Amino acid sequence: MNAAPAIMDFSDRLSPMVVKELRQGLRTRLFGGVLLTLHLMLVLLTLMSGGAENAAVVSGWFDGIATLVLCIIMPLRGFSAVADELKSGTLDMLALTRLSAGRIIFGKWAAIASQSLLLMLSIMPYVVARFVFGGLDLFGEIAALFYKWLAGVVIAAVIVALSTQRQFWLRAVIVFLPMLFGGCGAASFMMMSRMGGGMSSGLVFTSFTKSGGGGSVLLVLGMAAWAIFFFLSLAATRIAPAASLLSVIKRSVNLVALLSLMLLGWLTGSSAAMGMTAAGVLSLLMMDALTERVNEVPSVYAAFYQRGWPGRLALWLLAPGWVTGLAYSALLVALVSAYVGWARSVEEAKLIAVGAAGTWMIAALVQLFSTRKSRDLLPPFIIFWLIVNVMIATLGSLLMIPWAMKTTTVWFTCALPQLLQAGYTTAQAGDKAALLNLGMLTACIWPGALLIAAVFAWRRARAARQEGWRMIHGDQGGSAV
Amino acid sequence: MDRSQPAVVVEDLHRTFGNLKAVNGVSFSIDHGRVVGFVGANGAGKTTTMRIMATLDSPGSGKVSMGGHNVVHHPAKVRRLLGWMPDSFGTYEHMTVLEYLDFYARALGFKGADRLRRIQEVMDFTDLTPLADRMSNKMSKGQTQRLCLGRALLHDPQILILDEPAAGLDPKARVELKNLIRILAQEGKTILISSHILSELGEMCDSLLFIDKGRIVHHGDAESMVRGTETAGETLVNVQIAGEPAKLIEWALTAPLIKVEEETKRGARLRIQAADDATLAGVLRRMIQDGLPVLDYHREERRLEDAFIDMLGQIDKNTFKAQQPGELPQKNAEAAKL
Repeated sequence: MNAAPAIMDFSDRLSPMVVKELRQGLRTRLFGGVLLTLHLMLVLLTLMSGGAENAAVVSGWFDGIATLVLCIIMPLRGFSAVADELKSGTLDMLALTRLSAGRIIFGKWAAIASQSLLLMLSIMPYVVARFVFGGLDLFGEIAALFYKWLAGVVIAAVIVALSTQRQFWLRAVIVFLPMLFGGCGAASFMMMSRMGGGMSSGLVFTSFTKSGGGGSVLLVLGMAAWAIFFFLSLAATRIAPAASLLSVIKRSVNLVALLSLMLLGWLTGSSAAMGMTAAGVLSLLMMDALTERVNEVPSVYAAFYQRGWPGRLALWLLAPGWVTGLAYSALLVALVSAYVGWARSVEEAKLIAVGAAGTWMIAALVQLFSTRKSRDLLPPFIIFWLIVNVMIATLGSLLMIPWAMKTTTVWFTCALPQLLQAGYTTAQAGDKAALLNLGMLTACIWPGALLIAAVFAWRRARAARQEGWRMIHGDQGGSAV
Repeated sequence: MDRSQPAVVVEDLHRTFGNLKAVNGVSFSIDHGRVVGFVGANGAGKTTTMRIMATLDSPGSGKVSMGGHNVVHHPAKVRRLLGWMPDSFGTYEHMTVLEYLDFYARALGFKGADRLRRIQEVMDFTDLTPLADRMSNKMSKGQTQRLCLGRALLHDPQILILDEPAAGLDPKARVELKNLIRILAQEGKTILISSHILSELGEMCDSLLFIDKGRIVHHGDAESMVRGTETAGETLVNVQIAGEPAKLIEWALTAPLIKVEEETKRGARLRIQAADDATLAGVLRRMIQDGLPVLDYHREERRLEDAFIDMLGQIDKNTFKAQQPGELPQKNAEAAKL
């Protein structure tokens, strides 16, 4: 018997998925190429930064290169992370191991984050060297580098989540459009900040963290951690087996995160800002909850029934599937609207509810146009979202301009939730309340339409719920919801 | 695992994709330690059935139990009992054979020395030790297939599902695979193999499951399959002569009870309307008496492929007969409408 060479490169404590991804990732030409090119450029920049007159230019280039590597190139390594496994059939083989969907996705992301961290740490000596040559805020630059890495790992989570989508073109549109707009925006910001006194991003981050203190840093870290959790759990749900109860954990954590955000706002006296932040994440949470396929696996419902009446109650909000997602999203909208109404104004609370109706509208359109057999609701949701929000909002705004120029209230904006915000802003002071109320009334159509579809979908899953009930209670008394 | 129960039970399984009924009421069971071949044309429903058995897809309706565990309700328990080898071998870039097995061993919960020992055992069994440092995506098909089998065996599963394991392999690799499967069968594992190469399945398997259009059309051993579809009272004989085969054809066309089935390179396949030894010997005697230079004359063993095709033809004929008088079969009815 020939002995195979022992393999002891990574500890047993590391996740198998991280080990696999690191073994593969560190050997790719891309990683080696990026590492060598990055260091070549940084050596040149560090040598150039000797003269004080060059400091601002060198800082700009330094920031640009670090941003490009940490926030764009490294996260993009996750672009086909899951799609490739899906196409080659290896995801099936992974699913048959003890690795859960969550661990598979986390491993994919953690490997990118680790490689990114490796690159960030390798940049540190150049920052110190530039500090030694003079003209540099060391703490600010290190903080800036850390925030770039953090932003990069959040973007990596988004891209890994998108990689669960098989269609290349859809992934490309979703990833590259915001990058294009975001890149243009970032470039304009950097140009403007240079023209306005040469403030480097290091100083921007320093001033941000110093102005906000430790609380701001914790908030940023907390938000980043939640965003990573949100996108990775979204991805994990999409590759998890039908009998998975991942939605329960996901929705519970998201609800707690939202409540924590509001509580933090109340405790720190920044309720208004936190309310708007909560409203910002609301559409993401709704998209996730409203695009889950209705589950028809009895054991999923049995898991709720075996916990008695609290379980039966939780089933309505947490059971996998968009039908319970509708109830869950209604709860979130009610919570956020109430909070914003308390912290800011009732009008803003109403606008948030109308905005949420816009998301329900997309979900209703998805239900209307997708076939009953459609298993994956997220791609049509994203496509509808892009079409509706970009087209209707742009065309609607163009239509509004002549009316607004005549200082007339644009009443037709009530018809579509996506337009109401603009209509409300330009409306005559005396008409604002009436416009908002009318908008609220018409917006009710969408959750109503979705509710009708939900009733039918809920009835289709009745057999599974009854089987789940029987698994726990046998044939004796009572019935499934 | 409770060995008094069958290892695999599939009851009235249905699965549709859009309007396509991929699996339409499939039922069968497999006892422990049996090797069963799963046969059917492309699109017959083999892979869909196997994927549901492997917990990789959900049944539309019906019940599937593996080792006594329902695949939908207890997928984790089923996965512990199951080794799955898909038709696409699925290797990774930038990963050696050893790293590949090491990753799956880690993913299956093996740790430290236990993991190294198990990898070594599997590499020895599949003869992969000399290839330990080879990149897993730079190997021949036969080697890749052995690697994939090794991966499926890492956790020593009691039930193996092998989807087209011999597809695209050269004859040497096929023989090696057959030997490995034979050893696994001797170890008492329950094995379900799908393949298009029926003759090989016939040799390896205790029984065969034939699926067509999402339905099981036959479940039994290879011999019963061949016997069951044999046309009664007829025998196929393969004859080779020295010289032109035309002489033999000409002779056969004038001889009673003999029909020419097919002309071959050096003779012909003849269908003789008799099955008894005396008549068959008589035919040979007549050939020689009539001056045919016979080199070879032997009763042809009926091939599984032929039996399968005959059986499908029989099913189609029965389906047609079952229609009401005047009613056209579905396809014809649609064509008639056009």
